[in-house]
Amino acid sequence: MKSFKLKTLLYAFAFISFFTACRDDKTDPEPQPQPVAERKGLYVLSEGLFNANNSSLSYYNYENKELVDDQFKLQNDRGLGDTANDIAVYGSKMYIVVNVSSTVEVADAKTAKSIKQIDFKDNGVGRQPRYIVFDKNKAYISSYDGTVAVMDTASLQIEKYIKVGRNPEQMAISNGKLYVANSGGLDYPNYDNTVSVIDLATETEIKKIEVVMNPRIVAADSYGDVYVISTGNYGDVKSSMAIINSSTNEVKNQAAFSGGSMAINGDLAYITASGGKIKVYNVKTETLEKENFIADGTKISTVYGVTVDSITGEVFVTDAKNYVTKGEVTCFDPTGTKKYSIQTGINPNKVVFVNK
Amino acid sequence: MVNYFFDCSSRLRGWLFLVVGCIFSAQSVTAQLDSTQQLKAVTVTGNVASDASRITPSQTVRGGDFKKLSAYNIADALRNFSGVNIKDYGGIGGLKTVSVRSLGANHTGVQYDGVPVNDMQNGQIDLGKISLDNVESITLFNGQPGEICQPAQSFASASILVINSLAPRLDSLKPTKIKIGFTTGSFGLVHPTVQWQQRLNSRWAMRFTNHFQQAHGRYSYKVKGDGSDTLATRTNAFVKTLQQDLAFFYQKNDSTRFTLRTNYHHSDRGLPGAVVFYNPYTNQHLWNRDFFSQASCDHRWSRFRFLLHGKYTHNYTRYLDPDYLNSEGKLDQRYKQQQFYTTASIAWQARKWLELAYSSDFSLSTLSTSMYGFAYPKRFTYLHAASTRIQLNRVQIQCTLLNTHIHETVKLGDAASDRTIWSPTILATYQPFISDDLLLRIFYKDIFRAPTFNDLYYARSGNRSLQPEWAKQYNIGITWRKDFLNALDFIQFTTDVYYNVVKDKIIAVPNKDLFSWTMLNLGQVDIRGIDVTAKAQVRAFGKTKAITTVNYTFQEALDVTDRLSSVYLDQIPYTPKHSMALNAGLDHQKWGIYLNQTYSSYRYYLSENLPEHYVPGFFVTDLSGQYRFKLARNTISTSLEINNLFGTDYAFIRSFPMPGRSYRFSIQISI
Repeated sequence: MKSFKLKTLLYAFAFISFFTACRDDKTDPEPQPQPVAERKGLYVLSEGLFNANNSSLSYYNYENKELVDDQFKLQNDRGLGDTANDIAVYGSKMYIVVNVSSTVEVADAKTAKSIKQIDFKDNGVGRQPRYIVFDKNKAYISSYDGTVAVMDTASLQIEKYIKVGRNPEQMAISNGKLYVANSGGLDYPNYDNTVSVIDLATETEIKKIEVVMNPRIVAADSYGDVYVISTGNYGDVKSSMAIINSSTNEVKNQAAFSGGSMAINGDLAYITASGGKIKVYNVKTETLEKENFIADGTKISTVYGVTVDSITGEVFVTDAKNYVTKGEVTCFDPTGTKKYSIQTGINPNKVVFVNK
Repeated sequence: MVNYFFDCSSRLRGWLFLVVGCIFSAQSVTAQLDSTQQLKAVTVTGNVASDASRITPSQTVRGGDFKKLSAYNIADALRNFSGVNIKDYGGIGGLKTVSVRSLGANHTGVQYDGVPVNDMQNGQIDLGKISLDNVESITLFNGQPGEICQPAQSFASASILVINSLAPRLDSLKPTKIKIGFTTGSFGLVHPTVQWQQRLNSRWAMRFTNHFQQAHGRYSYKVKGDGSDTLATRTNAFVKTLQQDLAFFYQKNDSTRFTLRTNYHHSDRGLPGAVVFYNPYTNQHLWNRDFFSQASCDHRWSRFRFLLHGKYTHNYTRYLDPDYLNSEGKLDQRYKQQQFYTTASIAWQARKWLELAYSSDFSLSTLSTSMYGFAYPKRFTYLHAASTRIQLNRVQIQCTLLNTHIHETVKLGDAASDRTIWSPTILATYQPFISDDLLLRIFYKDIFRAPTFNDLYYARSGNRSLQPEWAKQYNIGITWRKDFLNALDFIQFTTDVYYNVVKDKIIAVPNKDLFSWTMLNLGQVDIRGIDVTAKAQVRAFGKTKAITTVNYTFQEALDVTDRLSSVYLDQIPYTPKHSMALNAGLDHQKWGIYLNQTYSSYRYYLSENLPEHYVPGFFVTDLSGQYRFKLARNTISTSLEINNLFGTDYAFIRSFPMPGRSYRFSIQISI
């Protein structure tokens, strides 16, 4: 009868892992704001499969076009673990949030050589970390146990756990505040429907903003707005996007909108959509600009994640294929024309760039 | 938890009382017996695989051989069968399922004492749960059983595992038989059993079995790939099981038999889960309370045979994850499955060369859970099977046509639509020479498995428009056996070559909105295989007997779903191309020593046959010894097993490591 449990878990986690196709970063505080920096290459984080310990970090070298399947394993002689969910580069370090293993791996951004593995367990029970964002040498890590951890990026010590809503997912920073989507995703059908606002000066929650249930995706633009996409309940409550004004902490608009992952670069938000499409939304005019960014007819079987290179304007679309075989990342130029594709691990969800 | 322990200890007290009671009554009964009296065996067994069943490929293991195979549960006993692929999640309480000829575990039917064992929720029977204490024989038939007077459901799976329990062999001179056994060993195993067989009068007999098993289940294993160089310990692997079985047997000469059997299985297990790097802790729990009661009637009259079976099954399962990060702080799911099953069969030996049979089954299955928005499905299954067996000179032909009608109702939403399916099977043998040593056989079967309740109705992932999953089998084989009068007792050789196709395979695929999965009929597998079995028994040095069995299986099970996909023509996951088993034993008077060697070639854990998805092959050696002796007229049998003698580090399922070297000691007293 264990099979029922395995199946249950498989479904539960299959479901959870699809929460992951989202990212924010790129918007607010760029730690190295020198647009003259030159890229050395890119990393692609692949989740792998639940309970298979096969998360991987592909490295693609721009200069010699060489692809390494798992740079982390190559450097450290050990795997990332189970279901790596988020990756970010801040300063000289790279941070990888591994959900099921309940760790945050800190590594040298250029080499992927491990600096420290931070354990995210509470009395032996995994907190299940999900996403990471940064502000003023602090890292903020959301975990399914309803907390946001505050970590000093120099000492790599966790200073505090801020209590937020249920099963927090993505976060974004705007106006000195951290916006956290409280999904309540493990509470089907009674999802959470709030966004926690944390004042970064005091590191305390100052408000919970109500949005459509099951919010998961959060991104901020440069105009002080925070975009939150809720998935709804897969039934009568449809997916929806809320636009929060970070000065007033009020929802200024909430409208039906579907999307799985969002990346904002300048005035454009790239949002993954069903049918192998990337929607383009203009955050300045707050209107949908294009139904599909891909202009040359390139087929992506399962659009899983989208990342924009803020320097080059290139858009990287990850393809999870059938979710159990190796994925692919396709690089598009800003006009939506394919430049190249590289093969990745299973379920690639995010791309980060490393400078020379 | 408190409740459970209270419950269990009260049961334990009951059990102890019973043991003491049994020993008392047994002694008083045996004391009255004269040791010189010869026992007349009255065989009451049902359809144990006989030579008649050579029409279909079949393999049998009998109760006396379990120790020789170092088998502790049904799955272990099947390791040496060819064409069988066991999925063992490791440890004493780990799930164990069997896929035959790469068709998938859902295509393996299980029949216990003539009556099907069903699981409508998953469609897979955990063979680790069936204790060997009562089992007399286990036979695996490819296609269908050799006899045609069977419940219709026996014809309704691609292969069927027929388990028969021990029927009492008692008479007025020996009206009571008591067997007390105790097994202990690694993993903190404590496993006492009592079996009491009692003749009630000239026609009635009773059998009661009580089985208790407890183990902490811990073992050490090596984690590969997380950079650690020490051994880790598998925890939360404990098992506590109590199983009670009461059966009454009625027999009037050889023509009428009636049995009534009731079984209760109560277990509490920790689920160690997959080995997750850097986060090995788990505290998940599984409770089972399974009950069934079945009645069977077998009556022969003139050239007719009638079979009637009825069964009621009630399975309760509770799954608890106390660390689940929802607002309740736990995931606590309860499932209740019920099934009412009846079947009637009639067989008529119309001519010497012609036997006709018809059987009709009805079953009603329900599933309820504590899950939100559950459909509460009810399935009505009607099966009708018409079979014929023709014996013409040296040719035997057996045909079955099965009609399945499934009707479902639900409380919420729409039920899956009704289905009516016709499934044919044809088997034939040809004996080329006068002696029946050599037999050629051929079979074709076109069968399906219905979607399970989980496939259809599981929250959000279930798909109510699923179609059945089809399995077509083509088999051609040869079987040869020669008995000798010299030192070589007999030699037996069997080989079958087969081609199977699985169509509309039910698999989980992500839904179009990316966030939820759905079940779809998407998948086609092309299977080619060879099963080889060779057996020889040698009698040498007076009373020493040597027996050797070798099984070899070749299987190529290729994914042919989509020509454009990266997995096209790749071997399906967890299917070794080569597997082999060797069992060799020496029996000398009271002593026996046996060696069991199993081999599996490498496999891939995912559908893409890439080096990073490689799961290494393994050789595992088990060694066992037996010593039997008489003590005050009672037979005492002892055995010592050393499993995984060389401490091979291996796994059937990646992330579910198997234990290293372990020991088991058992003693059994037959009174």
